[in-house]
Amino acid sequence: MLKATIDAEIFRESIDAIAALVTECRLHTEEDMLVTRAVDTANVAMVSLELKSTAFDAYSATAGELGLDIAKMKNILGMMGRGDALTLNLLDEERKLELAFKGYKYSITLLDASTIRKDPSPPTIELPGKAVISGSALNNAIKAAAVISDKIALGIDPDAMTFYMEAEGDTDHIKLALGEDELVALNPVGARSLFSLDYLKDMGKVMAKADEVEVNLGVDHPVKFAFDIADGNGRVEYLLAPRIEAD
Amino acid sequence: MLFMEFSRYCEQLEGISGRLEMIDTVSRVLPSLTDEELPIFVRFIMGRVFPDWSPLKLGIGPNLLYDAVAYVAGARKGAVREAINTLGDVGLAVEGLLATKEQQSFFIEELDLVEVYRDFERMAVAGGHRSQRGKLLVARKLFGNARPLEGRYLARLMLEELRIGMGEGNVRDAIAKAFGVDVALVEHAHQAAGDLGEVALVARKGPDALQEVEIEVFRPVKMMLAQQGTIAERIEEYGDVAVEYKYDGSRFQFHRKGDECRIYSRRLEDVTVGLPDIARHLMAATDRDIILDGEAIAVKDGRPMPFQYVIRRFRRKHQVDAMMEEIMLVPRVFDILYLDGETLIDRPLSERRRILEEVLADHVAPQVRTHDAAAAEEIYARALDQGHEGVMVKVLESRYLPGIRGRQWVKVKPGVDTLDLAVIGAEWGEGRRTGVFGSFLLACRDEAGRLLPVGKVATGLSDEMLAEVHALLKDLVIAGSGKEVTFEPQVVFEVGYAEIQTSPNYSSGYALRFPRFVRLRVDKGVDEVETLDGIRDRYARQKNGAGSSP
Repeated sequence: MLKATIDAEIFRESIDAIAALVTECRLHTEEDMLVTRAVDTANVAMVSLELKSTAFDAYSATAGELGLDIAKMKNILGMMGRGDALTLNLLDEERKLELAFKGYKYSITLLDASTIRKDPSPPTIELPGKAVISGSALNNAIKAAAVISDKIALGIDPDAMTFYMEAEGDTDHIKLALGEDELVALNPVGARSLFSLDYLKDMGKVMAKADEVEVNLGVDHPVKFAFDIADGNGRVEYLLAPRIEAD
Repeated sequence: MLFMEFSRYCEQLEGISGRLEMIDTVSRVLPSLTDEELPIFVRFIMGRVFPDWSPLKLGIGPNLLYDAVAYVAGARKGAVREAINTLGDVGLAVEGLLATKEQQSFFIEELDLVEVYRDFERMAVAGGHRSQRGKLLVARKLFGNARPLEGRYLARLMLEELRIGMGEGNVRDAIAKAFGVDVALVEHAHQAAGDLGEVALVARKGPDALQEVEIEVFRPVKMMLAQQGTIAERIEEYGDVAVEYKYDGSRFQFHRKGDECRIYSRRLEDVTVGLPDIARHLMAATDRDIILDGEAIAVKDGRPMPFQYVIRRFRRKHQVDAMMEEIMLVPRVFDILYLDGETLIDRPLSERRRILEEVLADHVAPQVRTHDAAAAEEIYARALDQGHEGVMVKVLESRYLPGIRGRQWVKVKPGVDTLDLAVIGAEWGEGRRTGVFGSFLLACRDEAGRLLPVGKVATGLSDEMLAEVHALLKDLVIAGSGKEVTFEPQVVFEVGYAEIQTSPNYSSGYALRFPRFVRLRVDKGVDEVETLDGIRDRYARQKNGAGSSP
């Protein structure tokens, strides 16, 4: 069971965070939050999202699972504006989710959850390097790198006390190093890994809206980005597998 | 069965050159498969995904495949193309890219044979404006979970060219051997059902079940084809023959059950929507449940119109009415395959013809039986005089052999110096032809199904035709360097030539002298292009005496 009311903008933000990686997902309803965890089709990127009941104007739910067509939801939510109240109502028997806003009433057929990939279990990995940076600065760096290359190195230089991003094109090179002054926080442990900008570009658009993004890094290890949504009443984590260059 | 096991069998078969050993290898696998796996395995091993009659088509172009592989391997699309260029094979290129991929993944899910098939089904049904995106996501998932060897065969399956040399004949024999049934029974069931995957399932039940396989309405049967030949030859060999006009139209198969009918093209595509006049004519001529084989021809003022008028209608899906006023089509029916629940393909032509004349009130193509070569030649002359292509000479006892180009049906045409060849490459044009392809590399097919180049054609194409051909080919480019591009073979040209010569320049060993484009054969697939044997044969028969064996 799920019946809830929320600012449409907040819900859209949550759906966009998922849509950056997958077109469909299993959404779990719990008594005090909505939770989802999904992996992209190539098993390279994962998203996990929590949206607490406190993010809603009204929320009542029991434990359950529903299959969501994320791409369709994104299109529908695109028509709503900030401040519009959105009411979600799960019609269990009909396997439909009703979205009501401003007199519109959408009834969306749910996907059979069993046809959607199971929730991936997050890998246990140690990522000792940590930097906290504004989402817009992170997104700008990703966009700058994408101009000249299809991959980007993210790293921490403990001697220079910087978090850096570096990209190498066929002929061009770009580097951005941010010192402690420009960062919210830094845990200066040496780290460097290479990532595909294909994935980062989509994640970057979502992260751009976050005040602070926590970046966790290792050497030739995945990267984890964690940030708040819904004014601190929800949290998103992205995990992206690295590229490892052959010697 | 895991897809990895399937891939290992493919690899094993690829290394075997002997036919018997291949058959033996496959026959030992088949009994161990479940009922769900068996038909899938049988089709996959031939490089096919769906039965020929199935309306499902994968619809994956090489570009989509490269996108998916590039994404999964963390390579640029250009790097994928380069690998294919270097290795000359999509499968090996994908295998190499997956083996050296930079992009790590969190885990791999084992691919299962049946699951892979289900994913192919998902791709085939993905429709609408998001269809390419939907197909791409599935392709990424498959390659994302594929190990390098699996990648080799996944890529080839997606392009429906497995390159391991398991043709229909070998698979048929393997089925017979696996389940201890007579090859002839397997062949009978195959001709009626049109899908060896399903036939394998029936074979498992035993010989009686195979015997009972019947043709089904709305499941199109491959059409029987004809070889080139002469009237004198046929009459000398068989005595009495049936002579019919060879129409310059397009072959169709008409199915009727109750008040419903469908029409299929020679590629077994449902073309009912484009041919309401043919449907109306034939619905009016019989009320039986029936399958008919015939030719649709365009007629204006009593004279047949050229082929391209007909083919435009076959490809038409919209504004059919407007098109119909312009081009009126009429059916010429010459065979019957099925009547009221009974399969007729095993009966001799003479009997099928008798039944056809009984049940079809109109539109039966005229036929003359004769053992007199002079009389047959006279019909031939009349056919040409009336604007038809020539005549068909058919052996009276001939059974209907779906998909077979046998000696029992022969086509006789004047100056038949044209060949249907696959377009496998091109060069970008210059001058007036800038922006479109200007010359085209053509290929025939050898016994193993490989495409071997026999020459280039650059003349005979109007500007409109060049534009049309460019539109057809531009998404089929799989590799390019400089001005040259290579295509995924899908398009067939009919080309004329003055002479066939031996040539060290092309791997077929032959080349065409003065090749010219005659027409686009959208009704033909690349599996129907001229065979190397056919070219060898034409070379040997050339009148100028140049035709000694190369």
